[in-house]
This record gives sequence, structure tokens and C-alpha cells, in this order.
Amino acid sequence: MGILVLASLVLITVSFRSDALDPAEGVAATVLRPFEVAAERVSRPFRDAVGWTRDLVNAKSENEELRRQVKSLRRQVILNESAQQDVAHLQALLKFRDLPQFQKDYREVSARVLTNPANRFEQRVTISAGSNDGIAEQDVVVTGDGLVGQVTKAYPSVAVVTLVTDDDSAVRAVDLTSQGAVGILESGSGSGTLVLERVTKDRDVQRGDVIITAGSSGHGALPSLFPRNIPIGTVTSWGQTDTDLFKRIQVQPFVDLSSLQSVLVLVPKHPRPEVP
Amino acid sequence: MSLDPVKAFLVLFVAVLVQVSVLSAYTPFGGSANVVLVTLLSIALLRGSIFGAAAGFGAGLLLDVAYLETLGFTSLLLTIAGFWIGRYGETTARDRFHTPYTSVAVVTVLYAFGTLALRFFLGESAPAQLVVAALPGDLLLNLLLTLPVYALVRRLFPPAVSSDRVREVRLLG
Repeated sequence: MGILVLASLVLITVSFRSDALDPAEGVAATVLRPFEVAAERVSRPFRDAVGWTRDLVNAKSENEELRRQVKSLRRQVILNESAQQDVAHLQALLKFRDLPQFQKDYREVSARVLTNPANRFEQRVTISAGSNDGIAEQDVVVTGDGLVGQVTKAYPSVAVVTLVTDDDSAVRAVDLTSQGAVGILESGSGSGTLVLERVTKDRDVQRGDVIITAGSSGHGALPSLFPRNIPIGTVTSWGQTDTDLFKRIQVQPFVDLSSLQSVLVLVPKHPRPEVP
Repeated sequence: MSLDPVKAFLVLFVAVLVQVSVLSAYTPFGGSANVVLVTLLSIALLRGSIFGAAAGFGAGLLLDVAYLETLGFTSLLLTIAGFWIGRYGETTARDRFHTPYTSVAVVTVLYAFGTLALRFFLGESAPAQLVVAALPGDLLLNLLLTLPVYALVRRLFPPAVSSDRVREVRLLG
């Protein structure tokens, strides 16, 4: 018993203070990966059944809501396409030098989610792709619905992704409707919720507004790791008091981060600028 | 040679896979079930403190590797849990009906606060509010798991029969 406790303490100390055990952990994770993939495949029908049942309960009310959204979005698409053509034309005229664009300047690496968050303190998942697939630390991770997080550790065949709901995560984000409402998106107090901080009180933010990544404000020394225009979520509520300097905006992410099954890692096509 | 270590490894390995691939995705009643902890405690109750501590260390190491967490973190907690419940089984109450349920309930609470304390000592964020809010759900789910898991583990690790027990009575004289 004493020896095992001592061994645990030594492992904690070495693992916590240095990267000396990372290669060994990477090898062990690689060995474990096929078993995790197999377990995930075996359990998928059951997970799908649970998801199907849950969706069935909400289907009727969701259907009406979606029909209304489709009508509204159809009109919006036409307006957007027209606006996009104008923007492209104007940018060409101005020889506008843009920042890296979401999707266009990134290669997507799809990966399976091997493990969900280990505990309620850390919002991190492991995925079945790593540095062998070109993934590096700080790469942005998304799904078809929106932002998931970023890679915080890359082993040869697996990688650790820190979700946007983790305490250590911070993303520069903007309200799509009110473009001046730029703030920092951080973990909220509720499970799986986010808070958009540092949005000044004079900005008009409404419930239902869509929040997207803001990218960088210019070619500065410390550009944002997250490219602009990745959908994040919708505003569920906001508040401010006379003494507060900023609004406090609650955001519900588009992605269900509690049951991720697969993700896309955005690997930059061009090398990132060196951080001084 | 006893097959118990091999059986324990296989059972805990499957439990770890179920935990990381299935159970950690669900949080009914605001809590999450910990099948590794319940399996370990069942094994420790039936096989004693030293076996429980070794099984806890191995299971913890597997979990740490699977989650790519700080190595040794879960090992430490599960080693202590396995040893303590193994000792409880050896000395006090292995055969009583309530033993597995009591063990799981007590260790679930201590494990949650042990995790919190260890994170605090390592200087990581450790909001007690999260633990307290999820504890009732954790307790309920782990107790629900105890019935099938303990029954299964008991079949795989039948309680040892004392060899010196008198099997027949011979009349003298």
C-alpha cells in the first residue's frame, strides 16, 4: 500500500512538473486507442437510441420552430449572397489584405471523440488524431454546428481538446447582429453555458442574437487563435447594473458539448505567426 | 496459481472502457456514474486490502492514461479507496447485505472531496460548489450500479471458503 501511494505521488510530481512522462503517456494512449474506438463503436447504437428517444420527445415543438426559422433564413440567404458579392467586389477594388478566413485557409482533419470530460472540473476531451495527422497545439476544433475548443496537447496519434466551456478557455467573440459588441467569451456558471464578458454597456445586444468568433482586430503581434466567423451560440439572457462597466451576456453554445462524437480540427494551411 | 489478478485486470479494463466511452457522456440527475469505482470497491471487498490497493493503482493509471490526465492522480485516490474498503471487508462486514452499498456511498463522497482536495493542493481550479451540486446524483447512480456490478463481481470472485472449517462430525466412543 505504502509503495503504491508513494509511486502515485512520484508520478503526480513528475507528470505535473515536467513533460518527461509525455512520451510514455502518448505510447500508452496509442495502445489504448483501438480499444476505446471499439468501445465507442459498440456503444454507439445505444447512444443513438438514447438520442433518438430524446429527440422524439422534442420533435413536435422543434418542428414548428424550425419551419419558422427556415422561412426567415431563406430570405437572409438571398440578402447575404448579394452582400457577399458586393464585399468581394469592393475588396478587389481596395486590394484588401484580409486575415485568415474560416474554412478557406484551413485544412480540416476529422477525428472521433475517444473520451468525454474526465471530471466536472476540466472540460477536456481526447480525439483520435494527433501530430501524425498534422495536428498541433492551438489548432481550432469545430463541428458542423460551431466552435468546440482548441487543441491543448498533441500526441502522435491522439490529442487533447480543451472545450470552450473550460475555465481556462477564452475566445474573442462578437455579436453578429450588433457588430460593435465584441467581448471575451468564457465559461459560464451553469453547466455547459458561456458568458460573453467585456461588452460595453452602450452596445445593443438582444436575446436570440448569434455570437460568432471575432478573429483578430488587425495584423497585431498577438493575433487571435480563432479565425473569424465560426458560429458559437445564441444569447439567452443579458444583464447590467449601474455599477458594472460591462454587460454580462449568457450564451448557449450551438454544439452539444456534453455528447460530442466527432469533430473537425482546423489545421492552418500557412504557418502561424511566431509569438514574440 | 490464482487467476484473480488476471480476472481483476480484465474486469477493470472493461470498466474503464465503459466509463470513458459511455458513462462519462451522460449526467442524469445532475451526476455521473462511476463504474470503475464501484467495480474496484466490489473487488476490494471480496479480495482484501492489498489486492484492492493494487487493483486501485492499476485502474487509476488506466483512467489517467485514457483521459491523458496528470499521471498518478486517480491512481492515488483509487489506491487508498481500494485499500480502505478491502480492510473494511477483511475486518468488519464482508458478508452483510448492506456492506457494498455502505462502502460505495461512503467512498463516493470521500472520492469527490478527495479529488477536490488533491486539485486544490496542485493549485488547479477546484470549485466545491460543483462537487456539492453533483453529489446527490453521483450517489444515486453509483448505488444503482452497485447491485448489478457487485453481483457480477461476486460471481467472478467468489468469497474464499475457509479450509479449516469442520465439514463432518464423527462420533467417538
